[in-house]
Amino acid sequence: MTRLSQALREAGVLIVVAAALGFIYTAATEKGLFARAPRSKTIPRTAAETPAMISFAEARTMYESGSATFVDARHEFDFKLGHIKGAINVPLAEYELKKSALDGTAKDHLIVAYCDGAGCNSSIELSVKMMKDGFTNVRIFFGGWREWNDAGLPTGKLP
Amino acid sequence: MKNLLENPILVLMVRLFIGLLFIVSSMEKIVDPASFAGSIADYKLLPIWSTAFLATVLPWIELICGFSVLFGVLTRGGSLVLSSMLVVFTAAVVIALFRGLDISCGCFTQDPAAAKIGWLKVLQNSTLIVSSLFLYFSNTESFTLLQYLQKPDSHAEESR
Repeated sequence: MTRLSQALREAGVLIVVAAALGFIYTAATEKGLFARAPRSKTIPRTAAETPAMISFAEARTMYESGSATFVDARHEFDFKLGHIKGAINVPLAEYELKKSALDGTAKDHLIVAYCDGAGCNSSIELSVKMMKDGFTNVRIFFGGWREWNDAGLPTGKLP
Repeated sequence: MKNLLENPILVLMVRLFIGLLFIVSSMEKIVDPASFAGSIADYKLLPIWSTAFLATVLPWIELICGFSVLFGVLTRGGSLVLSSMLVVFTAAVVIALFRGLDISCGCFTQDPAAAKIGWLKVLQNSTLIVSSLFLYFSNTESFTLLQYLQKPDSHAEESR
């Protein structure tokens, strides 16, 4: 038996064993592929619970009129690398710790939440949390940081 | 070169290094396949439906092949799988770099605050590819589990 055919046979055995263990483990623990409810389903779908999504043009108008406070739902690390200028960082993962950043904001003030861009749901989840905390005028800019940065609009960085 | 491939100490060191590295790096992915699926999706190379599948299987392949190399059981197959995976991972990193994606590697930790991918990662991976290919071509069974399992038998036969 040549070295390669022996190795391929061994590799096959290892991969089959690993795949079997992987499926058994994730199925037994209901993780990943076998998660009972995908994360996106935890987001309320009813209009009453979900704040309205706004387009890039609307977000831009709100920003330029100065009527809205932008809230960045991303991790602090990403926020520091670049964010919409003047935005407040309230990372979704640390909401309870960081929500004090919103203390100075009136409950009926216009708030625009955003995260990385389409493909991330943290802006939606953050908006829901903010609404539960009594903020009544929350919008989601789903195009997020990517759309904003790509358009060359004002951004800020922190060291 | 032939001497190096048959040097039991060197081969053992590389086996310990590669084996432990893959076992350790597989742990966090096994515990949190959803995050790992997210890391795979960030590379924007594969359709979303496939990432959950890969996140279920890949970490376990790393773990099992890590153990295979560490204990010297089916080392040749294990090192072949690991080098092939490393080549694919490295290619993914290179493609992401050329496309200007600013993403975390998803290699050892799924923490989004972890270091982003860069050319240093490519260099690191190249070292790992050389190491695992070295194991593939190595020619010694010293310090393997197989050898220890066989030893008591031969002693038993001698004492009879």
